[in-house]
Order: sequence, then structure tokens, then C-alpha cells
Amino acid sequence: MISNRLSRWTLLFFAVALLNFLVAQGVLISGLTWPAQSLSAPVTLIAVHLLTIGWLLLLMLGALFQFIPVITSRPLPSQTLTLVTLIAIELGLIGMVCGFLALNFANALLAHCLPVGGALVIVGVLLACYDIGVPLLKARPMSLPARLVLTGLAFLLLTVTLGLLLALALSVSGFAVYVAPLLAQGVAYHALAGLGGWFTLTAMGVSYKLLPMFTLAPEERGRAGEAVLQLGATGFALAVAAGLIRAWHPAPLLSILSWLGDALVALAIGIYLWDVVRIFRSRKRAVIELHNKAAVGAFIMLGGTTLLAIVLMSLGVFAAHVGVFVFLVLFGWLSGLGLTQLYKIVPFLTWLGRFGQQLGRGPVPRVQDLVDEAHSYPWFVIYFIAVLLAALAGFAGSAFVFQAGVGLSALATIGLAFEYWRAWRAYYPRLRPSKPPVPPFKPGEGIIHGQH
Amino acid sequence: MAPSREAVLDAMHDVIDPELGYNIVDIGLIYGLEVLDHSIQVTMTMTTPGCPAQDYIMAGVKDRGQRIPGIENVDIALVWDPPWSPQKMTPVAKEYFQIADDGDD
Repeated sequence: MISNRLSRWTLLFFAVALLNFLVAQGVLISGLTWPAQSLSAPVTLIAVHLLTIGWLLLLMLGALFQFIPVITSRPLPSQTLTLVTLIAIELGLIGMVCGFLALNFANALLAHCLPVGGALVIVGVLLACYDIGVPLLKARPMSLPARLVLTGLAFLLLTVTLGLLLALALSVSGFAVYVAPLLAQGVAYHALAGLGGWFTLTAMGVSYKLLPMFTLAPEERGRAGEAVLQLGATGFALAVAAGLIRAWHPAPLLSILSWLGDALVALAIGIYLWDVVRIFRSRKRAVIELHNKAAVGAFIMLGGTTLLAIVLMSLGVFAAHVGVFVFLVLFGWLSGLGLTQLYKIVPFLTWLGRFGQQLGRGPVPRVQDLVDEAHSYPWFVIYFIAVLLAALAGFAGSAFVFQAGVGLSALATIGLAFEYWRAWRAYYPRLRPSKPPVPPFKPGEGIIHGQH
Repeated sequence: MAPSREAVLDAMHDVIDPELGYNIVDIGLIYGLEVLDHSIQVTMTMTTPGCPAQDYIMAGVKDRGQRIPGIENVDIALVWDPPWSPQKMTPVAKEYFQIADDGDD
């Protein structure tokens, strides 16, 4: 029996996503672009979309396809659609990369790849929204993680819509006239809706379920969780809407609303991080597993990057360092959290797929037996140090050190990818077959008194 | 001859929660167990609703039960009330996970 709770294509999503991440890191290592370059430069657009669509979007969707049945207790409407989603998004991404290259070489034929690729990505996203949204909307009562993911999906739709408009403006002659203000300022709000409203709110939702689940902490987050959702969603919506309207009709009130949106977002992130500390402190499981231990690095990156943004905005120099800020959000917070959570999700899915059906029929390894934490720990340390190094180099204006930092992060990514692969191949249980598969028990002590 | 309830419970120690890596009896997932002639009726829960391993753990209980001599049928009732908490673990499991026994279910 294959459980309908097991997402059939999630591991393939992760494999393709990791490959895209390494390609994106390769682009940055090549020196063709780096944070000091304009976000609108073609090679920067290639690197950013390889990271956001190729790596983070596929990673997040792959995880959600497995995660949604967990938080809704309902299966996905279609497993086949998840595979179609993967194919559409990856092909669309390749089209977009060709389209961005065309901007560099002024190739009219290749230029059409951008809207076509963008449209394919949208098709993939719409299919994913159907597969994820239907069980979410049917779930009653709707839990905090479910509402955060649903809000994230709304921002995802907004992000891809803005992206398509930008793609059309860049590649279809005549269309730019209608959306000229969007071309001038829209990229920033397209990025804010994507990195903030979609990725960050969804990551918060997923972590609100997984962190308590794996640390045996109370799942109920009370007013803190509600505040994170309401302040975060309102803040991102306000910042994006005010920014977009201001592009057409500059007005002082809109600047104030945009600033208010930023402040609400910072407050939501602060409450979220405080709540994460509360989860760790109230956990019943004394030993923290490596995926959660390493995730602390990503949480520190989120807090540090938020503080950095506040300082840069206060000094009026945020625009000059926006590239480093985006790099820290992408590599430190989102990719950092993604890499650490893969260290749990991959062995878990592997266990379900390989050993689940043997349960009750003979000895089986535990999920923990599929990984070697001592072996993998250094890769996480190297990754976060590398990201910090690259960010500092970005500030200092040293392109070479930035490339070296990204190179080191790529090395750590390869090291971790190798550990995921070993987990998937069940390498460690074969290496240590003598380890008892289940902790020994003393017959008689296992009877639950007074519950029968 | 039907096996004793204790013998069935001991057999269920072979079924683990893969994530916690410990047998489901000591974790406290089995809320009730009755042996009636040649069948077992198990009332159990999961550590969290929607647990991805739910179907496999329930199949494991069924398979392990049916491998006990004298047992032909295993019926499982999955319940969420009362919800599971680490305090449902036996002392031996609490000691393994270093969970303080605060007496609060």
C-alpha cells in the first residue's frame, strides 16, 4: 500500500530545485553579476529567478505538496498535477532565462521566450494553487499554519501577475507604454510580494507546524501567532499596494502608508522570532535534532537582516545596499531555512517510501538512522559563515571576496546535497547494520496503566 | 487459544513511530486494547493529526497483530480525543526522551 498522504513527486521537486540552486550559485561565482549591480540587469535577473523560481519556489511547492495533507488531514486533489506543475515551472524558467539573455543580446526571437516562459511558470503556479488551495479551503477549522500558507498563496499569485506584466513590458514592443511606471519601480514591489508575502509568510506557516511537531512543543500559538499573521499580511499588502499606486500617482500619504507597511512587517518578524524562541523553550524533547539546531542560523539571519534594513532605511542608504539585503534574504533566511528543513524532510519521505511498508513485519530503521548528524553539522556551519562572508564583501565592495563566499556556500550546498542523497539511498543504515533499529524496551513497563 | 492482552501489547512494541524512533506502546499511542476470541480491537491515536506516517503505523499495527498466533483479525479505531501529548509516554519513554513528568496530560 502506498499512502495517499505521501507526495509522490516531492523528492523530484527537491532534486531539481537543488540543481537550480547550484546553477544560480555558479552564475554568482562567475562574477557576471553581484549585489552592487542593478537588480534589473539581465544577468542579475537570471540569477535572481534561478534562485526564486528554480530553487525556492520548487522547494517550497515540493514541501507544501507533502505538508498540506499534514495540516489539513486531507489528500491533494491530484498527484499527477504536481508533476505537471514541476515540468511547467522548470520549462518556463528555462524560457525566462533565454528571454533575459535576449535582453543582453537584443535578440528579437529569443525575446519572446520571456513572456512565453513567464506564462508557463504561471500555468505551473495556478495548478499548484489548485492542488494546495482546495484542501486548505476545505479544512475546518483552519489552523494558523493553514491561514499563513493561504495568505502566502495570494501573494504568490500577485507576484507572478506582476512578473508577467514586467515580462511583457520588457519584451513586447508597445506594451511598455501602458506600464511604464511599473517598469521603473515595479521590480521592487514584485520582489517584496514574492520574498515577503509569499516566501516569508509561507515559511512562517510551515515552521509553525514543523517546529512544535519535531520538538514536542505546544502547537497552539495564541495571540502571538495571530499577530504574526495579521501584522505580516497587512504590512506586506500595504507596502506593496502603496508602492505600486505611488508609481502612477506619487502622493505623500502613499509614502507614509508604505512606511507603515514596512513597520508592521518588522513588528510581525520580531513577534515571530520571539515566538520561535518560546517554542524552543517550551519543547518537551530535550535533544534538538540537527535540522532544528541549524535552523537557528536561518532565524538569526532573518532577525539580523530585518535589523539591517531598519538601520539602512533610518540612515537613508537602503537603496544603495538593496542588493546585499536581497542576497541575505535569499541566501541567509530562505535558503538557510530550506537547506536545514530538507535535512529532516528527505529522510522522513525516504523512510515512508522505503521502510513504511515493512513496519510491523520486521525490524526497520528509525528516521534518525538515515542521517549522520555529526558528519553533516560542519556543512551547515560553513554555509552560514559563507553567506555572512559574501554579504560583508558586498558591503565592502569586494567582488572577489563575494565570489569566494558564494563559492564556499556552493561547496556546503554540494556537501549537504550529498548527505540528502545518502539519506535517500539509506546509506547509513547499511553502514551501521548492527545498531539496534528500535531502542530496547523492558516487557511489562510498556503497559499504559489506567487507560484501558 | 487466544493470546493474553499482555502478550499482544508486548508484540505491539515492535511497531515504532518512525520520527520519534520509539515503539508506539511506550510513546502512548495505544489508548485501548481488547482481545476478543481471535480478534484484537485497538483504539489508538497519532502524535499529531495528519501525521504522514499514519497509514503506515496503522498498517504496521494490523500486520503485527495478525502475525500473533491465534489472531485472525485486527480492528483499529483512530481517535483524536483526548489529543496525544508527551505526558502520555510511559516512564521508560520519558526517560529516553528526557521529558519531565509534570503530570499534565
